[in-house]
Amino acid sequence: EAASLTCSTDAADLAQWVLVELQGEIEPRQSGELAGSLLGDLHYTHEGVPVLIVGHHILYGKLVQLEKPFAVLVKQGAGEPGTELSSTEPHTHYTVTALIKTKLLFKTRPKPIITNVPKKV
Amino acid sequence: GAMRSRAEVDATLQTAKVNPAELLPVAHCLSFGPRAGTGDYCLLQLEPGLSAQLEAGCSLVIRGEKHEQVVLCSKDKTYDMKIADTSNMLLFIPGCKTPEQLKADQASCNIIHSQACCAGIAGFSNNYWELRRCRPKLKKLRKLLMENPYEGPDNQKDQTSTFAKYTTEDLLSLIQASEEEILHQLQVIDACRIEGYWRILEFDYEMKLLNHVTQLIDSESWSLSKVPLRTCLEELGSLEPKEMIEHILLSYGRKHIDDAGEVYFEMQEDKICRAIAQMLLQNAVKFNLSEFQEVWQQSVPEGMTARLDQLKGLALVDESSRPATIFLLKVEDLPEDNQERFNSLFSIREKWTEVDIAPYIQDLCAEKQTVGALLTKYARSSMQNGVKVYNSRRPIS
Repeated sequence: EAASLTCSTDAADLAQWVLVELQGEIEPRQSGELAGSLLGDLHYTHEGVPVLIVGHHILYGKLVQLEKPFAVLVKQGAGEPGTELSSTEPHTHYTVTALIKTKLLFKTRPKPIITNVPKKV
Repeated sequence: GAMRSRAEVDATLQTAKVNPAELLPVAHCLSFGPRAGTGDYCLLQLEPGLSAQLEAGCSLVIRGEKHEQVVLCSKDKTYDMKIADTSNMLLFIPGCKTPEQLKADQASCNIIHSQACCAGIAGFSNNYWELRRCRPKLKKLRKLLMENPYEGPDNQKDQTSTFAKYTTEDLLSLIQASEEEILHQLQVIDACRIEGYWRILEFDYEMKLLNHVTQLIDSESWSLSKVPLRTCLEELGSLEPKEMIEHILLSYGRKHIDDAGEVYFEMQEDKICRAIAQMLLQNAVKFNLSEFQEVWQQSVPEGMTARLDQLKGLALVDESSRPATIFLLKVEDLPEDNQERFNSLFSIREKWTEVDIAPYIQDLCAEKQTVGALLTKYARSSMQNGVKVYNSRRPIS
């Protein structure tokens, strides 16, 4: 059977997202669900340099306009209970949900934040 | 994770010894969204032009049956898809503003306030799909249509046939090519739509139709470049369906409209002579070249000249045999994959001149590739009797 994955868009709904590129892997601090947990704070200097504070690290990055933009594809019907695609359904449907033309590239080695005592607010 | 307050953000800045005055007042607190890490999202790197097409509302289609490598099709182009791994982590974030956007926002409202915005990370990945423009995979199109060639309205087989017949939609879901490429190829192979299904004419039936037309041209003493549609339909309409008469004229002639609004056809000599050659050659393994040329010239319509260069990609002349011979070799019967095509050609003939092999590899050329480049890649050259010849790079089993 043909497996035709249609990747359709509704141009009106096409958002522009941003890509953040980091070295290393994502590991949640607590062994638990990733969803909802905080990665860090993203700032920009007045000159437009992105600054990311992740855990005990500061990362300085740069803004890059992508020569080849990305499309973000999302599987339709996934994650919603009761919408399992039956075996007779030959089409898996992906939607282009966003375009990415900009990335924040954090290539520099993170600078650890040296603290003695965490400041209380 | 609860939303962070600006105060918490400032506290972190203080710990990090970063001066908030050096920063834009809006901070993004990045947290992972509900579907991050589920694999529901993936990234597709776009080739030039695709981004603009998407923004204009055009669709992309990913096509491929289970045993096929998937391709991505835009309206008019086909791309191979390949996973590219990166050693970095790519996070994609909706609602994350760039410094330019923040400054523009700031300019539009007078109050400068320190803010902490929540930006949910939709997903992350350490790989993405890469695209590379490729030749549309069209060989299957002919194969599908040849499952059930149309043999004429009188043929009982058609009415009772259980063979699959294909609509445009069917073809779009089965062929790994863009819609434009498929429609163009249907025209190239002279397919026609009968009762909503795309059909290829069975060769003998096609020759029968062509013969009706060429005989009529002869009996009416028409010029080959001015064959009137109306009279053809009137004279031949009792022998064959009018749609078929018109189809054969469209296949073997160029359509024009004269000043009176009448449709006429300029018959294509090369294509007609070529078809007649195929009809002659398919009856035996090979022919004596000079005998063939004589019979062939006698078989083509009055006023047409049969020439060997009309047979490129259809037949091959063997000068090495005594006497010289000619045999049918159709490029569309050969494998679609580059390496397999060359293997096949080298098993038919050990050494080829560029002139002889070119018609059999021309269709393999990618967008800006030449026949010479293909030969450099897939063949080895040597000199034979002062002529450059190509043979296989590897032993043929």
